[in-house]
Amino acid sequence: MDGNIEFTMGLSQGLAWPWPIAVYLFFAGISGGALATALFIRFYKKQTTNTPFYKAAALIAFVTISLGMLCLVLDLTNPLFFWRILVYYNLNSVMSIGVIALSVYIPLVALICLYAFEEEIRSVPALKVLVPVIEKLQGIRRPCEIAVLVLALAVCAYTGFLISALIRFPIINTSVLPALFIASGMSAGAAAAKMLAVSMFKEDLHSQDMKLLHGAEWPIMFAEILFIFMIVTSLMTGNAGAQSAFEAFHTGQWAAVFWFGVVGLGFGGPLLLNFATGKAFSHSAKAFYLSGVCAITGMMCLRMFILYAGQIFAI
Amino acid sequence: MSENIERRRFLKCLGASSLIIAPLGCSSVKEGESDANKPHYAMVFDQNKCTGCGDCKEACNLANNLPEGKSRLLMEQHSGGLEGQPCPHCGKTTECGCERKFVRVSCQQCKNAPCVTVCPTGAAHRDEKTGIVTMDAAKCAGCKYCIAACPYDARFINKETDVADNCDFCLNSKLAIGELPACVQKCRYDALIFGDINDPTSYISKLLRVKDSVRIKPGFGTEPSLRYIPIVKLGV
Ligand code: SF4
Ligand code: SF4
Repeated sequence: MDGNIEFTMGLSQGLAWPWPIAVYLFFAGISGGALATALFIRFYKKQTTNTPFYKAAALIAFVTISLGMLCLVLDLTNPLFFWRILVYYNLNSVMSIGVIALSVYIPLVALICLYAFEEEIRSVPALKVLVPVIEKLQGIRRPCEIAVLVLALAVCAYTGFLISALIRFPIINTSVLPALFIASGMSAGAAAAKMLAVSMFKEDLHSQDMKLLHGAEWPIMFAEILFIFMIVTSLMTGNAGAQSAFEAFHTGQWAAVFWFGVVGLGFGGPLLLNFATGKAFSHSAKAFYLSGVCAITGMMCLRMFILYAGQIFAI
Repeated sequence: MSENIERRRFLKCLGASSLIIAPLGCSSVKEGESDANKPHYAMVFDQNKCTGCGDCKEACNLANNLPEGKSRLLMEQHSGGLEGQPCPHCGKTTECGCERKFVRVSCQQCKNAPCVTVCPTGAAHRDEKTGIVTMDAAKCAGCKYCIAACPYDARFINKETDVADNCDFCLNSKLAIGELPACVQKCRYDALIFGDINDPTSYISKLLRVKDSVRIKPGFGTEPSLRYIPIVKLGV
């Protein structure tokens, strides 16, 4: 009986989720990824000072999540309806759970920023009012940091769960998506925070923190490649719907985005810059920034590819 | 004629079931839970009878105050011939319009509805009395999550209200005043049948007992409540 009657038309006319959502996924991933890496390093190395990397990560996390929220609100059919998401809840909905997580995460990120920039705030007279607040909250810094670490990872994973609930899109509807989004969020977030730490907060290009990050970069990238490989093979060998979605990887403009953007720039770029060039160049500032930009662009391309190709190649 | 009997029975059922169900309404009912006492409204679309006149679309637009020309349903035309091959009827290889088939595209009223599960505000919800998937426009934030999640692409944003919309069997327009859905009333060819399939004496139950019907993409596991009676071609 199956397949006896079908329809291909739809009432929604076009993609339900266009690019602002991809940009939101991108920003949320960077925010969570940057903060998670900074806190990992802080706990791992038992740091107590505000390192340049910690500052950079806090700043990036706050700015990106705010921009991400802006994208999300502007993508609503009527941005003035935003309050409804905050007032009404449906605990079966991944989005609702995400909203709860974000409404704890964002204030906590702001708090982490206060801790991180305590010195700077002290030196600006206009911000003096914040000093007693920071001093009061100093006691709960540790629990806050632990909570933020958990929430940062949750936010990264949530962006994956959010879209993997869409059952009619084989590329999106995969259980490894949240893991992939955590991994790619961490690599792009770390890259962004690294660049900011060096350029703005005068971190040494070859400091201890940088070395540690550098060492973590490759395993994370390997995990990303592995997750993508898992998605591709499961589509290639899956049922008819999955196999037709596999086309996204070899036809059309989104295949180009995947191969040039995600694979070429995102993975190939950093690898080539680090291992295929001379030692002098690969240790230079130029190579450092270039490979950072590659990692971030690759991650943006990945989000775009998953969201667009994913929605186009529906069952 | 069938329509009149159906309407009376529908009214009776609606009245009786609301008496039984209303006190239970407050206790939360888990999504997808089946309850034999509750009605399960379904619709049958008979492809053999539909001529594609489009009256149902117009009726929907009027009944639900939708923006100009918009309805909660579409008619997809399927041509009988195979592309590139001459039409078995007239021999033309180009589009000839012979042997047209139509498919009603609308919300499938899933028993296990992804749109209800994903909606962050509960705007897309299941009506407690009737179990029909409908909208609470005052709660919808316009996030379009439900539109992306609906496997049948059967939801849309109503440009006038800026919130999501779907076919709810005219729950708030016609059923509320005890009438059948507007499209069902309007169909001149009796291609649409509506009723409670939990009631074994309803016309729709009797019809489904004797007619083969199919559901669209049952593999999604959403258990759609729309049934389709396809044109079955015997011989060449
Ligand atoms: S067809 Fe789509 S809109 Fe209708 S109940 Fe199912 S998921 Fe919801
Ligand atoms: S668009 Fe409205 S009905 Fe649909 S999921 Fe968002 S809030 Fe719910």
